[in-house]
Amino acid sequence: MTKSPNKGTLSRWLLSGEWQSHRVQAAVAVIAIALGVALGFAIHLINAAAFSEFSAAARSLSGQSDLEVRSPQATFDESIYPVLVQRDNVELANPVLELDVAIPGSSQERKDGTLKILGLDIFRASLMAPDLIGIPGEDKLFDILADDAIFLSPAAMEWLGVKQGDPLPLRVGTQTITLRIAGSLTRARTGQRIGVMDIGAAQWRFRRIGQLSRIELKLAPGIDRVAFKTALEQQLEPRGQYQITETADQETRVANMSRAYRVNLNMLAMVALFTGTFLVFSTQALSVVRRRHQFALLRVLGLTRRQLLTQVLFEGGALGAVGSLAGLALGYATAATALHYFGGDLGGGFFTGVKPTVYFDPLAAAVFFILGLGITLLGSAAPAWEAATAKPAQALKSGSEDIALSKLATPWPGLLCLASGALFTQLPPIFDLPVFGYLAVAQLLTGGIVLMPRFAALVFSAVSSAVGNRTSGTAGATPALTTLALARLANAPNQAAIALGGVLASFTLMVAMAIMVASFRVSVDDWLKHILPADIYLRTAMSGDTRGLTPDEIKALAAIPGIARADFFRSSKLTLDPGRPSIALIARPIDMTDPGNTLPMTGEAIAPALLPKDAIPIWVSEAMVDLYGYTPGKQVTLPIANPAPGFVIAGVWRDYGRQFGAVQMQLADYQRLTGDRLVNDAALWLENGITPEQVIASMRRLPFGDALEFSEPGQIRALSLNIFDRSFAVTYLLEGVAVIIGLLGVAASFSAQAFARTKEFGMLRHIGMTRRQILGMLAVEGCLLTALGAVLGFVLGWCISLILVFIVNPQSFHWTMQLSLPWKGLLGVALVLMASAAMTALASGRHAVSGNAIRAVREDW
Amino acid sequence: MLELRHIGKAYASGRQVLANLSYTLGAGEYVAIMGESGVGKSTLLNLIAGLDVPDTGEILINGVAMSSLDDDAATRLRRKEFGFIFQAFHILPHLTLSQNIALPLLLNGASIERAEPMLDAVGLGGRGHHFPHQLSGGELQRIAIARALVHRPKLVLADEPTGNLDPDTARDILMLMRREIKANGASGIIVTHSHAAAATADRVLALTKDGLHPVAPAKVANAAAPAVSADSHHSG
Amino acid sequence: MQPFKCNPAYVDHSNRQQHSVSRAARISFQRASFLAAFFIITWFGAAIGFAASPQLSPVIQGVPLAFPHDFGAHPDFRNEWWYATGWLETPEKKSLGFQVTFFRVATQHDRSNPSRFAPQQLIIAHAALSDPAAGKLLHDQKSAREGFGLAYTKEGNTNVKLNDWYFVREENGRYETSITADNFMLQLSLIPTQAPMLQDLNGFSRKGPRPEQASYYYSEPQLQVTGTVTRDGKEIAVNGIAWLDHEWSTAYLDPAAEGWDWVGANLDDGSSLMAFRIRSKDGSKVWAYAGIRDPSGRFTKFEPEQVTFEPQRNWRSPRTNATYPVEMRIRTGSTEWLLTPLQDDQELDSRQSTGSVYWEGAVTITRDGKPAGRGYYEMTGYVEPLTL
Repeated sequence: MTKSPNKGTLSRWLLSGEWQSHRVQAAVAVIAIALGVALGFAIHLINAAAFSEFSAAARSLSGQSDLEVRSPQATFDESIYPVLVQRDNVELANPVLELDVAIPGSSQERKDGTLKILGLDIFRASLMAPDLIGIPGEDKLFDILADDAIFLSPAAMEWLGVKQGDPLPLRVGTQTITLRIAGSLTRARTGQRIGVMDIGAAQWRFRRIGQLSRIELKLAPGIDRVAFKTALEQQLEPRGQYQITETADQETRVANMSRAYRVNLNMLAMVALFTGTFLVFSTQALSVVRRRHQFALLRVLGLTRRQLLTQVLFEGGALGAVGSLAGLALGYATAATALHYFGGDLGGGFFTGVKPTVYFDPLAAAVFFILGLGITLLGSAAPAWEAATAKPAQALKSGSEDIALSKLATPWPGLLCLASGALFTQLPPIFDLPVFGYLAVAQLLTGGIVLMPRFAALVFSAVSSAVGNRTSGTAGATPALTTLALARLANAPNQAAIALGGVLASFTLMVAMAIMVASFRVSVDDWLKHILPADIYLRTAMSGDTRGLTPDEIKALAAIPGIARADFFRSSKLTLDPGRPSIALIARPIDMTDPGNTLPMTGEAIAPALLPKDAIPIWVSEAMVDLYGYTPGKQVTLPIANPAPGFVIAGVWRDYGRQFGAVQMQLADYQRLTGDRLVNDAALWLENGITPEQVIASMRRLPFGDALEFSEPGQIRALSLNIFDRSFAVTYLLEGVAVIIGLLGVAASFSAQAFARTKEFGMLRHIGMTRRQILGMLAVEGCLLTALGAVLGFVLGWCISLILVFIVNPQSFHWTMQLSLPWKGLLGVALVLMASAAMTALASGRHAVSGNAIRAVREDW
Repeated sequence: MLELRHIGKAYASGRQVLANLSYTLGAGEYVAIMGESGVGKSTLLNLIAGLDVPDTGEILINGVAMSSLDDDAATRLRRKEFGFIFQAFHILPHLTLSQNIALPLLLNGASIERAEPMLDAVGLGGRGHHFPHQLSGGELQRIAIARALVHRPKLVLADEPTGNLDPDTARDILMLMRREIKANGASGIIVTHSHAAAATADRVLALTKDGLHPVAPAKVANAAAPAVSADSHHSG
Repeated sequence: MQPFKCNPAYVDHSNRQQHSVSRAARISFQRASFLAAFFIITWFGAAIGFAASPQLSPVIQGVPLAFPHDFGAHPDFRNEWWYATGWLETPEKKSLGFQVTFFRVATQHDRSNPSRFAPQQLIIAHAALSDPAAGKLLHDQKSAREGFGLAYTKEGNTNVKLNDWYFVREENGRYETSITADNFMLQLSLIPTQAPMLQDLNGFSRKGPRPEQASYYYSEPQLQVTGTVTRDGKEIAVNGIAWLDHEWSTAYLDPAAEGWDWVGANLDDGSSLMAFRIRSKDGSKVWAYAGIRDPSGRFTKFEPEQVTFEPQRNWRSPRTNATYPVEMRIRTGSTEWLLTPLQDDQELDSRQSTGSVYWEGAVTITRDGKPAGRGYYEMTGYVEPLTL
């Protein structure tokens, strides 16, 4: 017989023996790893699927173009089109008018009540993007060019509940136009909601005569794209009014839109995995401690250090491999289910209008498998090392368990973690991402957990001696139980601390997230109150490019009796950097005596009186400062007219609505500079004694009254907070999983310890303790431990929440917020956690005390 | 087979337990070491087994100095040449009796066929699939004896093998141990403070502060007359 | 020639059926083919109820053609085309055939749409070069909406442009055309040697038994051609003889029509022959016509019953499986003509891009067995849907 099969046999015997007798603990470790890996993998798959589908959908709209000519504004004059068509080296120029058009009466039923409509020249688009060509009905081929026909993607038809031949009403300003659904875009991507119609018809129907959104260029073969782009940029007049972008720019833009969101979600998933690591660590550590005698015996019988190390690591690796594989399967299933039932945006609102399907990404699977396996091995490494280096002769004696763990109690690594975490909070973001912020969170968490044993010993010995002094002399069972529990916690702090690791990790994270979300929510709520001061808000559609009120309609509205004040808003989009999502430009009346009356200023502002006399002021959101360096006092130009007018930045306001940046300016300035007289929304203040219903009724009687949508601030607030909560639903879910993993950790370590303490319990039974008393002692231990975990978790969580609130959020989403603590919720969760930990301790103790007391004492392990 | 040269060892506390101890054990010899508690009997065994390192002196196994071996080499030597029997049995609870006995064979990369005959030899034939918790203390020690000899070691170290057993069982175990050590051609060192146990050895040594001293067989025999009488022809 | 019905020869992988199209659209199409789609409307358009469909002019007998105005475009009629075909000779005395065609189609798009993109007129062009050495046709096509000066047909004189392709009649009557196709280039001047030949009833060309089944139709035969043909980057000088058809209508084909066969031939004696027949789905003759003008200008017209087409030899396309009667005997009264192709494979198959399939090729012609001249022969409606 060869050597290796025997080594394998031994390894297998030891492993199966261990797992068979500690099935629950092995299972818990596997489940913890599986949950962590599953969560991370699922989130990665969902994000990847949603993002790639979203990118693909965006890409499918521009076909095979090499370059795109756009304008900073949503549309530009078409006169440049024939110039580009006839330009040398341009093989094909494809003009596109792309509009998000509101569907009448839909904003209540649908989250996003607009349909993306592309106006295309079929003769050119068929060469550039053949998938965007509609299939007309038999014998109605001319519909492709008809002035009243539109072709809808299957997803758009399903979404709107229409079919070929149906009329499609669309909102243009206060008017409703009706197009005929002439056919389907069968080659549109699954889930992509778009409509296509003739470009001439689109210009006419949507009142965009002479306007284009972009011109896509396909260059002749062999033409240097960059050189061509540079030359064209030099020659297109007026300068600065056109942006020439490559397809890659567009993908960058799409990536930028959701990147912060995706990264944050992935980080949360990592946190679950991280929590799982502690669980594996504690499972492995306790398992090794429990088997100290066995390992020592094996060492005496001739197992080398390396063999023992390998054996323990192999155990951890096997747990990790099984858990990771299960996690991959679970993660894939979760992703598929979530994508099927909830779509790809997970409530974040970044990937609407596409229907991604899950794709098994082998590379990501490998990464997550290695991650799961890696952290398991990492969690097993310290216990394995301890087991391998222990002196066998000494370890064969009993009572050395806690000594074994004392190596883990060195404070330096923990302090180092805390210090580096503190240092990381001072570092700037990398690529607009709060990388160091997340690292700081990880370091604080690790540091806290590593310092746990020392801290537990300190606290419990202090409490123990305090209690001992107070109760000395008094008789009775309860103090005895507490004393015993405290004594154990104080004198064997390492085992206790291991049990606590999971609790601490999960509770810390939960506290941090809860504080962050609460702070965010309170800030958003305050902000909403501030930005919604009027009695009624009015608009023609919730969103879209075709909404707007004409000057005549504005006059008619303002003349309605009972209105004390009416502010009108014009909002539009501006692309300042082709690689970034466009910013919002909002023109509205702003109180010049104190802009803070109109805008939720952050404090950075220049008093209107101090502004240069002829300067036109604009007020920018925090994101503009971060992304574009628009600091107060700076002079900038905005391409809203030709030539681009100059402005001075008069202040910074807080905007939770648009993470990509927004600029506000006086409506009068805007209209004077652009000549654009349309407005999108109105805020109405009513005279005393007038009810909103009266005014709404009067407005409904206007000729265009049917097209108006009214909302009161309360409704908008409720809706906004509803959206807010929905977008954090995933966060809550992730927190929940982290807590479950934490509790699993408590269960695993308590049952492991209770089992290891069978002899101790037997001795206590011998000297006269009842089973009930032992269980009580266990429950007290559980409670005390969890209480300490909760207190520490709260402190640590509060620190981490500061990082989340003041570093991660501003760096990811470019907005600041005030800190708010949800005391009640946190206290509740802490109590629930303590109760469940006590229950868990009890449940695991029952098994240990159920055996024969005599036998327990005699048994050596 | 085993040679101790001027061994000295102090506890971590500083108390000197062994000093300038020398002794040579011949092949096939079976000796008992007796001594008061704390005199260093177990320490001496640990030193011989390579589980601990002497402060001074040299231990040679078959002429090889233990000090010349690193931990891995010492481990390999231990698993090949030594067998161990403990007071507290130390049978792995999650392995069957057969598996427990087979452990040294596995560690040495040898065939595990010999585990079953060993089980028969210690009188537990047919119970190989049982688990340790189904056994009495005496039976557990029989398993330990089987485990200590299954891989045909050159030297069996037994540390108070009967310390946890009643006198009748202890006698059976001692007889079995002697028989099996002899049957397998091994040397043996039994550390005990039981005269009856010591009487089963070929020779009895007393460990004192001054070193190892032979004890007259009669003295031992007298003290342990009932235990030895059954098998007195072995003592010598 | 006239708007006819052809059997659009294409296969759609979905369940689309064949569509009939006008002659202009000897073109059929696939799913993603728009080209032909517009011609369909010439057929079915009237059935589609648009709120503001433009009123298009009917073709009426007795309206005399007026030149030079009628050389130009007639945007009030639905369809119009300028169709130049001819034989070229290289310096090595090798024969080539060429085809340059520009179509104009008026759509139903609301004329009040002020957008410069409004697709009120569409321009479509086909070009082909037939070289026996290549063994098949080289061809290319383009289509666009009129507008932005990029594509147009002008009124007053022949002036048609589609991006960089154009066909222009100069004041002196000479036509200039330039075609930069995918795999060849044509730069040709076409110089008239005779007056325009008004077909049928002074340019009122009947296409079926009903009075509205007609078009305005004149030809310019016996055009002297000079210019260059560029292939594989090599430009060679060519000269030859060509035939131009200009035809416009708001066209109707007989619903029974399935396809047609047409020939226009420049005879060596200076005469010109044009003949066509329209086939019904059952193979019978829906309509037929022939006109011959001799060098002195004497015009002889043949009524449907005087004209017969008799296939002599078939060729089967390996691409479309269509069987074309590439050799055709035509009788006009007592005269017997025989058409023989320059090469068999002159099928214009672009199903992969636009889906149109027809046979359009150079032929030599004999009169009563004796070589008489050269011309172009066209066959549509021969492609059957492939079964998958």
